[in-house]
Amino acid sequence: MKKLVIMLTTPVVVSFGILFWIYQINMAQGFGGDNTLVVYNWGDYIDEELIDEFEEETGLKVIYQTFDSNEAMLTKIQQGGTAYDIAVPSDYAISKMIEDDLLIPIDYSKLENFDNIDPRFLDKSFDPGNKYSVPYFWGTVGIVYNPELVDGEITSWNDLWDMPLENDILLADGTREVMGFGLNSLGYSLNTTDRDELLEAEKKLETLWPNIKAIVGDEIKMLMANREAAAAVVWSGDASEIMYENEELTYVIPEEGTNLWFDNLVIPSTAQNVEGAHQFIDFMLDAEVAARNTDYVGYSTPNDAALEFLDEEVVSDERFYPSSDVTDELEVYENLGKRMNAYYNELYLRFKMQSK
Amino acid sequence: MKRKKIKLANLYLMAVFFILYAPILYLVVYSFNSGGTMSGFEGFTLEWYASLFTDTRLLVIVLNTIVIALLSATISTILGVIGALAIYTAKQKYTKTSLLSLNNVLIVSPDVIIGASFLILFTMLGIQLGFYSVLLAHIAFSVPIVVILVLPKLQEMSPTLIDASRDLGASTWDVLTKVILPYITPGIFAGFFTALTYSLDDFAVTFFVTGNGFATLAVEVYSRARQGISLEINALSTLLFLFTLLLVIGYYVLARRGAKEVRR
Repeated sequence: MKKLVIMLTTPVVVSFGILFWIYQINMAQGFGGDNTLVVYNWGDYIDEELIDEFEEETGLKVIYQTFDSNEAMLTKIQQGGTAYDIAVPSDYAISKMIEDDLLIPIDYSKLENFDNIDPRFLDKSFDPGNKYSVPYFWGTVGIVYNPELVDGEITSWNDLWDMPLENDILLADGTREVMGFGLNSLGYSLNTTDRDELLEAEKKLETLWPNIKAIVGDEIKMLMANREAAAAVVWSGDASEIMYENEELTYVIPEEGTNLWFDNLVIPSTAQNVEGAHQFIDFMLDAEVAARNTDYVGYSTPNDAALEFLDEEVVSDERFYPSSDVTDELEVYENLGKRMNAYYNELYLRFKMQSK
Repeated sequence: MKRKKIKLANLYLMAVFFILYAPILYLVVYSFNSGGTMSGFEGFTLEWYASLFTDTRLLVIVLNTIVIALLSATISTILGVIGALAIYTAKQKYTKTSLLSLNNVLIVSPDVIIGASFLILFTMLGIQLGFYSVLLAHIAFSVPIVVILVLPKLQEMSPTLIDASRDLGASTWDVLTKVILPYITPGIFAGFFTALTYSLDDFAVTFFVTGNGFATLAVEVYSRARQGISLEINALSTLLFLFTLLLVIGYYVLARRGAKEVRR
């Protein structure tokens, strides 16, 4: 009996010790008052030193939380149990949030640094006039490949069909991405709602199966870096990471066109500290801050003024900073509505079921 | 002939253990890699451990995880033992089986369902997500496990033991604290430690009920996956592995001492 009592009281005592320790850590960092700002971002998607600097500069304390998918973030914000002041959804999620009334309009009089953003990344279909969102990072969908394992140069989506790439292609697992390049390869818009075009794209994708090695998730980065496949369809952000791991590889934006994506800063309607949220956005828009953040994250920044603080080699890389001639041709995902999304999913599922 | 058989069995066992532990070993080795990724070992460094200890955000998350595990395991052990006693002493067979079935339903329910239900419940009740919501959820999924681990011990206990102590004049409280509880102590320990490990590595339920700046390790590691997990996480996993190893050794020592006492 004595042993049992000891066994049950020890954890409680230890827990309170640890709770006190946590309390002290939080106090040492100045948490506890009303001066907090809750930031909800993708995992490892900010240089955390910048958060410290922001705290010093403004006296606000940042509670930094992370998520791994737009859907997870949407659920959390919709559910409303937590007051997030800043979130970082991708384009299609933003239009969904606007539709569901989950965002607070941005007060541009509070954003001094907004002019730093390159105008070509503004006023996109998912948020006309950027009423609710400010661009954070952007990129494309394209093909990363290993020139040593591929005979020749890949320049277009159709090369995936035409080149000798038997059982050598990996695809990132995303409905819009895969259906999108199927449509693009036929010269159709990746936002098409024409069912015949979609069917045709799905039929064409099925003929790619002999070349497809697998449809995978995050492990695509590791697989490509380790030369497990010759080519892969990925987001440009992933591509730059893969190429950082393995310099043999290169990335190409296919000439038929592809998707242009954005992760944007927004203020959810549950925000408690709207003032602080604006301060945070303005801070991230600062040219030097954006440059350092870009350096850390490795994705492409929409911040024009930041470019001069970045490595010349990075900025002049047309693969990740294509000129406006290229980006003007690319398409941003439009919110197609529930029924069309379901149809896309259905076709994508059917394509996946055709696997060998 | 007999000797050879044992050797083969040993070989098999070694192979199984190798397969089970190789990934962990791999992870531990790479936590000392100066290269920065898991794709090639470049040289020895303690950099990741150093950055781990300076990362206060991660430290707080680890501490949160441990506090939740300890508290939820303790509370669910107490509740679980009471529950097991209730099932054991239930007079009607019908009551007994229904209680046990209800308990088992919770064990076989998928974590995602439990997590989502809790999210809906907490939202409806207006409970803020954070420390308490996570603690409550962890207690909830640990209690049935404790019950299922304690109940067999109760059932293997001879009922004559209780009758005898009653005959010798023991009160109900005496019977409970001097006969029943000491007898089922190994089961209680097993329940406590199982609940502890369940809580430490639960992702699915926790994911739904975290919020307001409160996160546990499983959720944090998962959300880092999009960017590729840094070796800091390897270092942390190594430390946690050692920590759980110590827990197991502690449990083993306690259990052995317990066994000796009983023999005496």
